[in-house]
Amino acid sequence: MNLEIAGRPITLLPEKAILLEDGTLVVADLHLGKATAFQARGLAIPEGDSAADLQRLAHLAAACGATRILVNGDLFHSPAGLTPAIENLLTNWLEDLPIPVQLVLGNHDSKLPRIPHGLHPTGMVECCGIRIVHDPAEASHEIPSITAHWHPFARITDGKRTALRLPCFLLRHGLNLVLPAFGTFTGGQILAVEEDDRYFVAPAGKIIEVPLDLIR
Amino acid sequence: MPADPLKPFFAARGWKPAAFQKQTWKAYREGKSGLLHAPTGHGKTLAVWLGPVAEALSKKQLPDSCAVLWLTPLRALAQDTLRALREPLEMLAPTLKVEARTGDTPAALRARLRKKLPFALVTTPESLSLMLTHPDTREKLSALRAVVVDEWHELLGSKRGVQTELCLARLRTWFPDLRLWGLSATLGNLDQAREVLLGPDTAASRNAVTISADLKKSIVIDTIIPHEIDRFPWSGHIGTRLAGQVWQEIDTARTTLIFTNTRSQTEIWFQALAELRPDWRDRLAVHHGSLDRDERERVEAGLRDGSLRCVVCTSSLDLGVDFSPVDQVLQVGSPKGIARLLQRAGRSGHQPGKTSRVLGVPTHAMELVEFAAVRDAALARHLEARLPLQKPLDVLVQHLVTCAIGEPFEPEEMLQEIRSSYSFRDLTAEEWHWCLGFISTGGQALAAYPRYRKAHLENGRYTVTDKGLIQQHRMSIGTISGEHNVSLRFANGHTLGTVEESFISRIRPGGNLVFAGRHLELVRLHLRVATVKPATKNNKGQVAIWGGSKMPLSTELAHAMAARLRGEGKPAPEMTAVEPILEIQRRWSALPDDRTLLVEHARSREGEHLFIYPMAGRLVHEGLGALMAYRLQLPDSVIVTQNDYGFSLTARRGLHLDEPILRRLLTPENLLDDLIACLNTAELARRQFREVARVSGLILQALPGGRNTRGFREVQSSSRLLFEVLERYDPGNLLLQQSQREILEKQLEYGRLKSSLDDIGQRPFHLMEIEHLSPMAFPLWADRLSATMNASDAATRLESKLEELTRAAATESPPRHSSR
Repeated sequence: MNLEIAGRPITLLPEKAILLEDGTLVVADLHLGKATAFQARGLAIPEGDSAADLQRLAHLAAACGATRILVNGDLFHSPAGLTPAIENLLTNWLEDLPIPVQLVLGNHDSKLPRIPHGLHPTGMVECCGIRIVHDPAEASHEIPSITAHWHPFARITDGKRTALRLPCFLLRHGLNLVLPAFGTFTGGQILAVEEDDRYFVAPAGKIIEVPLDLIR
Repeated sequence: MPADPLKPFFAARGWKPAAFQKQTWKAYREGKSGLLHAPTGHGKTLAVWLGPVAEALSKKQLPDSCAVLWLTPLRALAQDTLRALREPLEMLAPTLKVEARTGDTPAALRARLRKKLPFALVTTPESLSLMLTHPDTREKLSALRAVVVDEWHELLGSKRGVQTELCLARLRTWFPDLRLWGLSATLGNLDQAREVLLGPDTAASRNAVTISADLKKSIVIDTIIPHEIDRFPWSGHIGTRLAGQVWQEIDTARTTLIFTNTRSQTEIWFQALAELRPDWRDRLAVHHGSLDRDERERVEAGLRDGSLRCVVCTSSLDLGVDFSPVDQVLQVGSPKGIARLLQRAGRSGHQPGKTSRVLGVPTHAMELVEFAAVRDAALARHLEARLPLQKPLDVLVQHLVTCAIGEPFEPEEMLQEIRSSYSFRDLTAEEWHWCLGFISTGGQALAAYPRYRKAHLENGRYTVTDKGLIQQHRMSIGTISGEHNVSLRFANGHTLGTVEESFISRIRPGGNLVFAGRHLELVRLHLRVATVKPATKNNKGQVAIWGGSKMPLSTELAHAMAARLRGEGKPAPEMTAVEPILEIQRRWSALPDDRTLLVEHARSREGEHLFIYPMAGRLVHEGLGALMAYRLQLPDSVIVTQNDYGFSLTARRGLHLDEPILRRLLTPENLLDDLIACLNTAELARRQFREVARVSGLILQALPGGRNTRGFREVQSSSRLLFEVLERYDPGNLLLQQSQREILEKQLEYGRLKSSLDDIGQRPFHLMEIEHLSPMAFPLWADRLSATMNASDAATRLESKLEELTRAAATESPPRHSSR
């Protein structure tokens, strides 16, 4: 779905990503190695998502003809999750990828003693007149921002007893667009609705906007 | 003759030991284990306790290490038990100490107990598990002679019961001569209860007795008969219509307990009673499990000292907390089960030889039949069985880690030990290897768990050495999963109790609610704390409702009821009172029964209705209704409603069915597959997985007071997400299957459902075309308006709504910017 934020065109993709007009593909919150971090704490969660998520990202970039990938924070989950296996996986993936990747550092990434090669880590990026930063608290008040961190979910109800819980894009105050988490093994939270919020979900592989009266 | 050393105690009290007490002492002296069954308040505790005491006194030197472990199911009971055990010692052997160690024990005492155990230790299954993680426990308990499990019926049938079985298996391995004794209230399967406690084929079970203190305690079950039966409702469960008559009964006694079936009903009845007598407010109180402990203790104390005349309560006062007995007990609404009512009746006349009296308060007409039936069954001693759980693997893996921490174990020996417990007696080799894999390498898909470690093999024994993991495991021992509860408090910090998050989140700040008999206004809800203040206007708030209120009618009571409906049994005032309504049912249709299957068919402006009465309890009926609706494959939607006697289907058309078709729709063939298909069990299992994941150690429980270890947040995940991850990357994980099994049993009593279908297949069908809704059909019909769709229906409905939106978006009308 094409959207204009303060005059800047962006495309919301149902694959939980955003495409900017210069071909930059923005995703966030992959949390690679999260299951591994659980295992290190004695919790028997199988690791399987990291490889699949990276592959999914490469396919998506190819399919939409992206010219580069921006990971808007939390590519990694924790120091315990950055195992040699995960690092290998990432290196091979970067090598095979025909386009460059840049990491905007998230709070989880910052806990790592070092960031693996080839990711050109930075704190903030400005691109096509849009600020790209991990923490929604650092969104700009003047120009549009793309943020992440919250893993937003929408709770959609029809006033009866049950509700549907879906990951969503959240546009707050008309300027701050919060990305859903790209990683599979990531939870999410339902946020308190604020005035002027706009919610976008993709229940059937297509982005739709949910009228606010259907949100909890 | 009492054993000699006990004589002074009984002499001083002027008591004479009862026959069952002497029998128990003798059995204990002879090295036997066993189960003692007696009504509450008859000296069960002394019967079991004085055996080991007499043994200690008969020795030249009093023992100076732990000889008795006393397991109690409730922390709240520990203090009462402690008092009861210390009393005879004060006279007989003042130097013998008894202490309690539970989750409530202060740190200083706990540290002291770590150093030295007293003669007897009162503890809970969780605390016993915790003891097993300390390497010196075996040595500390080396003089252990007996383990007593109090209120065994409460543990039986739960995961805590299985946890107890496993701990006892450990102790039996360590000390083969150990004597195990269980104390149980009335149960329909006492022999099985004993077998579960002692293990099916152990030294203890080969040398065991069941002692029954059948004191012929007389129990009187009466019912308040409504004055105007023709105005009495045919359905409903609130039914405060009899509140006036209840007041007359309260007036006749000094103290009264009013039991209800749910916490909401407790609050509603308290309100109803208080409204009738506003001047009685401070002599009337509420007691239920969601109340804050202080509040509960205040109420219990009030009953003891007589400042409270009447308490409305739920099963929170079922258990043998030994406050002084009340004069009378009332049961509001269906008794649901026979054993349950007897237990409640036991709260009155709580002394040997005294009569226990319970007065039924029906909330609708059919409950009159239930009260007559429950009396029949109680007199005939047809009590319900409490069935033990079969091999819950989540409990097993937790226990295995517990054992590996305390004392490295050799797998073959441990398998023997585990199989010596009733629950795991037929654990397969495959399941065993899966469990060992789960605690050591993660699962069968080895590659999927590269960094996992918990237990590992060292010289052929499983052990856990990582201090962090040991600490983490100790803190998460137990099988009670923390509900999503919100604590309810005043702004000054005074806590009232807890309510479910799902309830409180539906109330907006400024909205009203009723809790603990008070009208409250919600100020704000923040981080699991709901701040409230007294409501300004005394307007009606929503009554807090809690889950788990759908307890079904027991099979035994349903049988007794069917017998009454067939006209069996002595004349009873309840039956006389309800006769006009039964007469209408007979005239317009027929009376349902458990030997035939009554099927009523009716037409109305809405379409067609089917009413079917298997008399198998509401959970089974819910499953049967969903199953039939699914197998009918009608083009229109079918509304299903159910209660304890039957269920109904409503549809535009297509419900006029002949017997062969009905029999096909109710066949037990393909039952499991059809249920899984129609009930969205995947979704349900995902919810049940929360508990399984917690017990098996896949989720770390947040600790109260922010005592969480560093990095705790990084390994937090919802059970729903874990379920999805496991389904995708480790579909063979046995815990997934267990969740599904558990949810089927919990939601629909799957075992009972299946045997009901087998039974229905043998019964003659009785098809009736009815012109008027019969008294039994009416409540099912009335419920259809409030019938909530099951979760999968609702999700489908929402999805189609979203699809509509998607289509609208495709035809490219730009999304309307809706603002508030």
